[in-house]
Amino acid sequence: MILSSITLAIFSNSCTSQREISEQKSGAELWGQNCIRCHNIPSPSAYNDEEWETIGLHMKERANMTTEQIEKIVKFLQTAN
Amino acid sequence: MKRIIIITTCLVLVFNYMAAQDSKLGKTQFMVRGYGHAGLDYFSTEGEVNSSYIGGAFAPIFIFKQGNRFLFEAELEFELEDNELKIGLEYANLMYSINDYLMVRAGKFLLPFGTFMERLHPAWINRLSSKPLGFGHDGIAPSSGVGIELRGAAPIGNTVINYSIYSTNGPRLKDGSIEPEEAGMLNFENYTDNNNNKAIGGRVGYLPLSNSSLEIGASYFTGKAGDKGSQYEDVRASLWSLDLSFVKQISPLKGVLDIKGQYNQTSVSSANYFDIEETRDTSSSYTFNNLSSAYYAQLSYRPSMVENNILKNLEVVTRYSQLKTPEGSGWESDVNELSFGLNYWISWRQVIKLSYSNTNSTGGHDNEDGVGEQKSNALYLHWAIGF
Repeated sequence: MILSSITLAIFSNSCTSQREISEQKSGAELWGQNCIRCHNIPSPSAYNDEEWETIGLHMKERANMTTEQIEKIVKFLQTAN
Repeated sequence: MKRIIIITTCLVLVFNYMAAQDSKLGKTQFMVRGYGHAGLDYFSTEGEVNSSYIGGAFAPIFIFKQGNRFLFEAELEFELEDNELKIGLEYANLMYSINDYLMVRAGKFLLPFGTFMERLHPAWINRLSSKPLGFGHDGIAPSSGVGIELRGAAPIGNTVINYSIYSTNGPRLKDGSIEPEEAGMLNFENYTDNNNNKAIGGRVGYLPLSNSSLEIGASYFTGKAGDKGSQYEDVRASLWSLDLSFVKQISPLKGVLDIKGQYNQTSVSSANYFDIEETRDTSSSYTFNNLSSAYYAQLSYRPSMVENNILKNLEVVTRYSQLKTPEGSGWESDVNELSFGLNYWISWRQVIKLSYSNTNSTGGHDNEDGVGEQKSNALYLHWAIGF
């Protein structure tokens, strides 16, 4: 049971509902709503494009955020820095 | 054995998938981030006053990223304590993002037992200068573990759910042979497992509002804690926790309201400990109901939407925290703490924190009066930065 659930999670690559949600919210909106859950909202100019990508993966893990949320936030920060 | 087979099978699947993806890993990036703080601490306990500058606590975080899926991260802690430089490894783990909904990480990682230790404890994030009762030294909640974890998050309609399942070496039971007054306590620094039983745990968090302002979470962690081959080998520790976070910019209040809380309960199955203290009664061994609990509730407000440049960077915070440890144990205590703080944010990641705590405690093995009541006050002035 556990194995089948994990296997299903490993090999599933698409989810319609996630794409629908991501289309509804902008990166700026997600940035304002999610970073503040733990710390102040970071300034986009604090890091360069590559650094934001590294921080994005670090925060995806630490704050357990969805891939779509992180991708949109990082893209916003890279355009606003 | 069953757990080992399941874990091994999962690892084979994961590594097989990673090997297939290896050619797509892409370029590497390396960063050093982290945080530090310094300040002045002032303590007053039953008329005895102590004050000291505390210097340069420094916690660099090394992050190595390869492509969009692989990350290695490690945090060191340098701290001056008792006239010595103490160096610790807060965590060091490898992480691989298998797909949009699943990450695997292995090594020493911060445990998602509630949210305080995993997300909120760094000095530039914690709104007060101290941890809530029950966390840290002699705490009843774990901060990190050595093992393997699966975690991820997924949207459900307009809401988000996140999860974590892990297996670690688990806690280690203090049997009193080294420090008799601590018999029955758990030591969460179990880097080389003291028995063959692997602890399992997990957390589920749910963000029911579309703006992600509210998160509620539940955590569980259990494993045998006694040394292999000892009479305590089958003593089991079971811990659970509930956490809540609500953070939102509220226009009528012209600022950000931040409410956080966590309740932890730790129970250890019954065991007989040897009484080698003169103060105890004549029986050679004793036992007690080994149940501990701790909680905190914190409220902070920052008027970030007002025009005044000084006022918008100020933040007020208050926290109530309580810790109860088992009656009849050598570390029996009942402690409560009320804290207030005033913070000035120099930038989004740099803060000056002035905070005051009033603590009332009964018992505790650090209390020289034994089970007598003790009142203490603390004043902290800290400057913290995240980088």
